[in-house]
Amino acid sequence: MNNQKFFDERYDVIVIGGALAGLASALTLASKGKKVLVLEQHNLPGGVATSFVRSGVEIEGTLHEMMSIGPKESPLKIRKFFDEMGVDIEWLRVPDAYRFVDGKKKTDVLVHPGTHGNFETPAFEIAQACGDSDGSVFHAILELLQLCHRVYNSVNVLSVTHMSKARMLIEHPDFVRTAGYSAKEVIDTFHLPDTAVDILSAYWIYVGDVIDNLPFTVWAVLMADYLGYGSYVPAKFSHEMSLKMAERAMEMGCQAEFGIRVDKILAENGHVKGVRLMNGEEIQSDYVICSAYPDKAYTSMIEPLSEVPDGALKFVNAKTVGVSCFSVVMLLDQSPEELGIHDYSTFYAPHGMDLNTIFEEYATEGPYNYITSICTNLANPNASPKGTCIYSITALPRPEGWFGVNEENYEEMKQKNAEYFIRMESERLGVSLKDHILEIVIETPVTISHYTGAYQGSVYGYMHTMDDHIVARLQMSEAENYIHGLAFAGAHQISGDGMGPAVTNGRKAAKIILDMMEEAQG
Amino acid sequence: MKVRNFIEDVGGASRVTKRRQAVYDKASNTPKPFDPIGDTAKKLHPGFIDLTVTSVRQSGKDARTIRFTADHLPYFKAGQFMTLRMKIGDSIVTRPYSISSAPYETRGEAPFIEITVRRPRKDGFAADWLYDNVKEGDTFTGEAGLGEFCHEPLRDADRIMALAGGSGITPFVSMAKEIRNGKMKADLTILYGSRNEEEIILKEELEECICDHVRVIHVLSEPEEGWTGETGFLTKELIGKYTQGDTSYFICGPQVMYAYMLKQLEEMNVPKRRIRCEVFGQAADITKDTSYPSEIKDSVFDLRVEQGTASQVIPARADESIAAALERAGIVIHTRCRSGACGICRIKVLSGRYHVRTENDGRRAADKEFNYVHACAAYPLSDLTVKINIPMQ
Repeated sequence: MNNQKFFDERYDVIVIGGALAGLASALTLASKGKKVLVLEQHNLPGGVATSFVRSGVEIEGTLHEMMSIGPKESPLKIRKFFDEMGVDIEWLRVPDAYRFVDGKKKTDVLVHPGTHGNFETPAFEIAQACGDSDGSVFHAILELLQLCHRVYNSVNVLSVTHMSKARMLIEHPDFVRTAGYSAKEVIDTFHLPDTAVDILSAYWIYVGDVIDNLPFTVWAVLMADYLGYGSYVPAKFSHEMSLKMAERAMEMGCQAEFGIRVDKILAENGHVKGVRLMNGEEIQSDYVICSAYPDKAYTSMIEPLSEVPDGALKFVNAKTVGVSCFSVVMLLDQSPEELGIHDYSTFYAPHGMDLNTIFEEYATEGPYNYITSICTNLANPNASPKGTCIYSITALPRPEGWFGVNEENYEEMKQKNAEYFIRMESERLGVSLKDHILEIVIETPVTISHYTGAYQGSVYGYMHTMDDHIVARLQMSEAENYIHGLAFAGAHQISGDGMGPAVTNGRKAAKIILDMMEEAQG
Repeated sequence: MKVRNFIEDVGGASRVTKRRQAVYDKASNTPKPFDPIGDTAKKLHPGFIDLTVTSVRQSGKDARTIRFTADHLPYFKAGQFMTLRMKIGDSIVTRPYSISSAPYETRGEAPFIEITVRRPRKDGFAADWLYDNVKEGDTFTGEAGLGEFCHEPLRDADRIMALAGGSGITPFVSMAKEIRNGKMKADLTILYGSRNEEEIILKEELEECICDHVRVIHVLSEPEEGWTGETGFLTKELIGKYTQGDTSYFICGPQVMYAYMLKQLEEMNVPKRRIRCEVFGQAADITKDTSYPSEIKDSVFDLRVEQGTASQVIPARADESIAAALERAGIVIHTRCRSGACGICRIKVLSGRYHVRTENDGRRAADKEFNYVHACAAYPLSDLTVKINIPMQ
């Protein structure tokens, strides 16, 4: 038994972490014929893109909307990638973009996404909510969203094509001209009513800093994708996507092992040479893709630490770790109709959309007054047994608010926030959710840390800010490969957070490694 | 499109790049591995811990309470279970036991955690072994604070009625102690069914817990003469008699008890959300399950076990779970609930047929599609090849 060998001596690439980014890396590398070993510490693939079962009912573990999917006949970036890789997921289109409810201004609007990059529907709905009498607001919003769309198209081209600045200016003028500005600065040039800006800001927390410090480029990509094409969910929850990626990678020859924790990334003379597992076993490889945050890699995983250059430490110390998540996930004992729940996702700001106040609150231990609720069944009617539904309420606190949490006060913090959320949503819906709970699971930054090992329990990598602009990230990326043979995959990479960007980040990491391999072969 | 003016607009990209560079230049180059959230997660969920037996005491006719201590005992919730890994002969087995001590007892000057095991009447080889062999000073590895059988104030009523049978009393002793000590806000009425007075376990511990918020009612099915308390089974009449207002019913006991209790509660029109069941283990005899092909019940199949690049063939009895076959062969398989619910023993069946009892099928939909099973709840119906995790501990 103990003489058994579980690993080959050497792999072309070792991928640490079997979540979406790591699996996207593995798929890309395997498709190029590389011998890949994926090591995931949890006993499931997917990281936070997962599900769990309570009393025999499978419950989605995340907010689980996937962007960049698009319809089968005209697939967007992520669906195309899955198609190319032979990962066959059953996608269901989410009917609405979101409902936005502002308790202070009494705004309440349901926004639907357009199709094929057409923004008339969402622009019209948002304009109507602002009392647009002559169509001027509609036209202004439409123009803004169309600008977002042009930037989005440019980003999709530029992320895979290298071109000169001059050519970029000619072919992608809007991308170039907006690259230096915050979302707020660009939005302001459209002179929209405040209410329209509030509604258009709903998604902000899912990308980064408040809109006056959030790069327009990032915001534009998100708006164009969600409002122009809509989002999708896998029929068998996020686990379907994660599992199918892992299964396909294994089918293509990857060795994927679960329940295996990597302790160290071994380096010598500026080069990666393998990994060491928690049980001391060493596996050799000249290339490693690491899903752990660079903070963790550069301060405790690289062995010896003297191999970590100063630049790498400055890199991580300059960054702001992105938000984590606090989610109350419930299985309720009635159907959405019976409970009066009509919308798939709702953004709710009971005290108004002062983003700075909300953001400051997110840096505390709670309670939080900006939440997103999702009723899974409204995108996926078979998500739970007949006569029940799955309902989740989520806020995205920043890690620092949870630094004071310890064993003794954890349960209390968890309960206090969850109770606040349930009360807040019950008031908005006009139904006492507490009287309908069959199952309840509360996910906190600690839960995220426990299951994924993510640094500070963050799910959103490094925050997109004007100090860490995505365009700057792209321009400086080459100089940020501090140790030869080591690339990173995860929300902490260039494209940032979210399940779609995680896949993109994973593909990018694979490309970095493939380029290094090609270079090494001369 | 124009934000400010042409020059400022087209200079944006280099402006933000310079800005980012400036932030980097100013940043410290001192490593700062600072992750208090990760530290808390590790304390709350340390994984396997080293446990030392500090005492073993008789806590009923056929029951022994085993007290453990460890360098750091994690918090758990009253009602949860722990596991112990045991080497019995050539087998390495992991078994779950409800924790009978209270969460508050994991703190203080002499922290401990306790389980109470009963000598099983039928085939219960691990429990038998533990009951007969455990002694002070023994060491084990195990995991504590597992399972969902606990009071959740946001979901459950403030009043709990425990419906306990036999050794199913243990999680309720933990709850009773925690309430008695003022650490858990709930009102607990325990209806505890035993055959006779002698069979009651943890009797003194329960009596010590009786207070304004904890009541214990013994219900004997075969009482000796002179017994003045409740008799018979935990019928809906008896439950009704002791129920006061909005109540959550928690059921824990031998497997046969669940169907009976659920029927009683259903007849009382108790809403589903007010009923909590502990996971109840495997079928005593899987070959009697409805869809089980009984003609193969005496077979022993070849089970090919792939772990990473290694592979070996071991025997697997048709009437035992895949997890049991692995354990018999001395192959470490990480298990917790032994009921098919928690999924920690998830493995992939690469070829061959298997049986999963509906009541113990806690799998995810996509897992079913790809022939993943929970090893503790899947039985071989033919020669099988499975891929299991490489052992790390």
